[in-house]
Amino acid sequence: MDPSHTALRTPGFGTSASLLSTLLASYPPPFISIYDPENPRLTASVVRNAVTNLQEGGSSGGTAKIHSAIVNAVACFTPRLFYDSVLNALAEWEPSWEDGCNNWSGLSTMPGQRFNENFDAFVHGLQAVKTYLEQASNETPKAASGKWKGKAKATSTNEGEVYRLVIVIERAERLKQSMPELLVPLTRLAELTQLDVTIILLSDLRWEEFRPPLGAAPDPFYIDIPLLSKSVPDTIDIVTSAFDHAAGASVSSSFTDPEAYSAVLRPLYSQFSATLFSICSPFIHNVHELMYLAAARWPGFIKPVLDAHRAYVQEMERLRVDRQSHEAEDSGAESRDDMQDHYEAGMLYLPSEDTRIRLIRHFTPSITIAVENLYPRLAHAAEWSRANMPPADLLTLAPGHMPGPSPPSAGPVNARDVRAFPRTSKFVLVAAFLASTNPAKTDLRMFGRGASERTRRVRRGVSPRKAKAGTGGAGIKIPQRLLGPLPFPLERLLAILGVLLEEHDAEVRPQAPEFAIPGEYTDMEISRVSVHAAIMELASMRLLTRASSADKVDATPTFKCGISYDVALQLARDLGILLNDLLWDSV
Amino acid sequence: MDEKDELTLSPPKKRSVRAATPNSPRVVMECVEILTPSKTRPRIIVQHPIPASPAARAHTLDSSSPTCPPPKTPPKRGRHLQRKAKIVSDMPQVLVLAETLQQAPESEFNCSAPAARQPKASLRRKGKTAWKLPTSAEELPHTLPVELEPCLQLQKHAIMRSLRDLPDIVAQDDHVSANATAYEQLSNLLRGTVLRGEGNSCLLIGPRGSGKSRLVEKAIKSLPEKPIIIRLSGHAQHNDRLAIREIAWQLAQQTGRSFLPSESNSPSDVIDPDENPFLDSSETTIVLPPPAHLLALISVIPTLPRPTIIILDGFDLFAAHARQSLLYCLLDTAQSCRVGSGTKGIAIVGVTTRVDTINLLEKRVKSRFSGRMLRTSCLSELQQWVELARSALTAPVSEDVPEEWPPLWRVAVDSFLQHEKVIEEFKESFSLTRDARTLCRILTTVVMNLTPALPYPSAEKLAASTGIQRCPARFPFLASLPYPAICLCIAAVHYQTSGHNTFTFEMLHEAFRDQVRTSQSAPVQIEGGGIGMMRCSREVLAGAFERLATQRVFTPVAAPSLGTAKEFVFYRLVPDRFELKRAVEAMGQTNLKKWFSKA
Ligand SMILES: Nc1ncnc2c1ncn2[C@@H]1O[C@H](COP(=O)(O)OP(=O)(O)O)[C@@H](O)[C@H]1O
Ligand SMILES: [Mg+2]
Repeated sequence: MDPSHTALRTPGFGTSASLLSTLLASYPPPFISIYDPENPRLTASVVRNAVTNLQEGGSSGGTAKIHSAIVNAVACFTPRLFYDSVLNALAEWEPSWEDGCNNWSGLSTMPGQRFNENFDAFVHGLQAVKTYLEQASNETPKAASGKWKGKAKATSTNEGEVYRLVIVIERAERLKQSMPELLVPLTRLAELTQLDVTIILLSDLRWEEFRPPLGAAPDPFYIDIPLLSKSVPDTIDIVTSAFDHAAGASVSSSFTDPEAYSAVLRPLYSQFSATLFSICSPFIHNVHELMYLAAARWPGFIKPVLDAHRAYVQEMERLRVDRQSHEAEDSGAESRDDMQDHYEAGMLYLPSEDTRIRLIRHFTPSITIAVENLYPRLAHAAEWSRANMPPADLLTLAPGHMPGPSPPSAGPVNARDVRAFPRTSKFVLVAAFLASTNPAKTDLRMFGRGASERTRRVRRGVSPRKAKAGTGGAGIKIPQRLLGPLPFPLERLLAILGVLLEEHDAEVRPQAPEFAIPGEYTDMEISRVSVHAAIMELASMRLLTRASSADKVDATPTFKCGISYDVALQLARDLGILLNDLLWDSV
Repeated sequence: MDEKDELTLSPPKKRSVRAATPNSPRVVMECVEILTPSKTRPRIIVQHPIPASPAARAHTLDSSSPTCPPPKTPPKRGRHLQRKAKIVSDMPQVLVLAETLQQAPESEFNCSAPAARQPKASLRRKGKTAWKLPTSAEELPHTLPVELEPCLQLQKHAIMRSLRDLPDIVAQDDHVSANATAYEQLSNLLRGTVLRGEGNSCLLIGPRGSGKSRLVEKAIKSLPEKPIIIRLSGHAQHNDRLAIREIAWQLAQQTGRSFLPSESNSPSDVIDPDENPFLDSSETTIVLPPPAHLLALISVIPTLPRPTIIILDGFDLFAAHARQSLLYCLLDTAQSCRVGSGTKGIAIVGVTTRVDTINLLEKRVKSRFSGRMLRTSCLSELQQWVELARSALTAPVSEDVPEEWPPLWRVAVDSFLQHEKVIEEFKESFSLTRDARTLCRILTTVVMNLTPALPYPSAEKLAASTGIQRCPARFPFLASLPYPAICLCIAAVHYQTSGHNTFTFEMLHEAFRDQVRTSQSAPVQIEGGGIGMMRCSREVLAGAFERLATQRVFTPVAAPSLGTAKEFVFYRLVPDRFELKRAVEAMGQTNLKKWFSKA
């Protein structure tokens, strides 16, 4: 992303950015922690800008010359990567392919020095960088002002100058996992290097959440970025600014109409973002997410306008050709008027207020759908955008006859796939769900056939639901299906499977006169290899998860059910089982 | 020269200056009254390393030139606008001479001197005042006059500089502070090493931010000769091998000789060219150099051309190294260093916060340690804390400013520090932490927020910055959580009240769904327009749940296990009920408030 672009349009960050700039230009604390729980990426770009502006703009007011390194703790996941990235950035060194991608290795006076070996070497590297920078800036004026007086001048101008190194670490909370041993020395970097170094940790977590234990690190200077969500206009402004960025981008993706980001449409885009914001703001506070949704919805939103425009241009073109052939012999003045007309028609113009309102009203429901599908990333944004393109003649339709939004895509993929399973697998899954959800000691009452039917009814009377929905008394029982599946041994699964098969499968089986005793046929069924194979297959798909370790041979394997209540309900319906009747805690 | 004049400007003279101006207007007299330091105010030694800065140098030239009269000369009238209050900025030069309180008490400078100049300043502007010299906060101009705006900028700059390196505070009563004693002991010890070639060792113990490192630096700076200084830190050198390499490196830097063990001696250092660069082999293949080798390098130290001071920050961490061999070698060398044997001295200074550090040492190490323990302590009284704030806030501006600026600023600072709420705020901070760095951070934010429109430090600014810097709120975003997230939190609170402190995503989801259903089915009218709560898809809720977990509003109860699906992992709610209640109320959504109140 072009940094200067975001620099200009990040309203809401002004005070924090200027605070940081002033601090860095005067006497910054050695350790600063910047905290933004909502828009860490935006803050990062603001900080990046502030720091690079300081570095480029030289010392504005302060006497310090600032050199900075901005690294991301996600990218620098080992100490070596971190050391090299920081030193390369400070020395403004770009590893190049031709010379073997060497890292910055200091002045020629100390060849063979490796600055990425350990933290001490890194500290030496920082000291070397400072010397290097000093020398580099001493040489420049020398070259400019001639040899004889260059030296004296250089020393006199640079004597009082302070070389300040600024190291910014984005996503700093990652340091705790990736390189915890670095955290303490980094916070004490100024002390350890004896240099003017400021380290800035940028995170969406408070420093307290990832600080090293035992107070080994000093407290940082805290900068809290004000929450952007408190300022609606700023948020909309930032979302809208994405338009300019997209307009400026030379390569537009294949699915975006090249004219979708024409400058005339900007007012419409800001209206669009305001609408989008008002719909999404209860759910999403992150500006980048809002921009993501806007980028996915805009091509569809603007398509009717572009279509209408193109149709109009074509129409005009046709008329012009017609008229030219008819009135070829007419006076020149009229044809010049025509040209004027055509010229105006060829320009894209902002649709009328009425059209805009119609567009917005039409697309409002689809934005809600976008939130549901794109925010949890259930669909690919470009894919979704293509699938939700409006019909071609949208604007010509009367307001009442506009087609409704396309229905939301069906629930999680899981449910559809599962329903395509063979019948045995479905029975196994339902049995597994029951085994994982019902307490084992209730099996006899739930599945024991005979007089037990009545006791179960009694139990059902005291449903835990009533207590939960109401004011809530202490100690209500939480249904097992909310607490997660319980592990069950294989035998129990087979037994429940037997009951299910006996009750719901026996009638549809082919006749088998060799089984005389009731249930014998089912017994045979559940001991078939195919049932075991189905269980193993489901386990490999993680629809059943193994709870016992796989390499124990002697113990009976235990499993947990891996499907949700909704999926189980679907399957049971397919098989004609009333699932709720078989659940101990009914829903 | 100026400096002498400056020094003679002691309280008796000041009085004579006042007596010489009996006709001054009343306003001016009041001003003097207020600004005359009270007897109880501690004296301040200001010590700023100014000579390094070009501005200060340029300034020295200026003040010695004839155009600028020495401060005592009665100034001519009518030139006040051109005349800059340069005198103030002369102070640092004077004070640099005053090395320490102990050594040169007569050169001490107390803060009555700046006040002494005020009568003159006001004299100069007599009869031609654009605005009256303020004597109290009420008389300060509300917004800064345009011509003074650069002054504010300069003043901020000066304060920032002084906050980086706070001046010393000396208590008024004769009681000598712990730090002063420690300083005296430490510099005597170092002098012994540097001047007489003694082998010394000591431990500097004190809480965080009590000025240990600062004290050591100051003691080193005041040494008459420049020794070799080796700084080690237990936070960076995690084992003896790293430490010994670092010693060798620093020795090489300062003496120009190489002491690194040759590479062939330690095969672990040779790096195999096709080794995976992402693997950090250095941590796993640590081979301690043999103790003989350690000794060899350290025993070289006394034979170096200059005496050596070794500072071990985080001394307790070094004691955790295997066999404490580094400590043993260092202390042994220091102990066996004999005066007069032709060797140079060595001093080992351990710096630590742990009071029981001595007990961590093995017997053989302990017996080689001199047992000298110096203690530092944090500021012990609120008054000192306030004085520290005052001396930082009234840091002299090192450049030319219009003469009306310093008194104006002083009035502003004085009224700030006398404000009841400010004192209250300071008292609270002081009772929580005595770390002077906390004060620095608080004042930094106060100072950074000064603008020409609101140019003076105020109690509100202090309160705001204390809120951020002292103990920042853990969840400042609660009141602006998105709707799904706050619903999940409320659902979690409901479970908490019903006795379930841990919950899964499924539980919260169910509670949310039930709540939406009841709220939509009930024909309740709240303030005319009651409709039910918004629906929210399961996936969006799950996204909100994950976000809450990364923000640590929810923390997992047990370590993550592979077999558990993520919607069944148990979590706990971190913020307490009242925090959430406040957040929900701040949001002002009737639906949510109602739901919350049922819990
Ligand atoms: N007695 C004191 N007077 C003035 N400033 C102090 C005093 N004690 C501590 N400070 C301030 O605290 C800061 C931290 O001190 P430092 O020596 O680093 O503490 P330590 O090493 O004990 O943790 C110093 O830079 C100084 O500004
Ligand atoms: Mg320290």
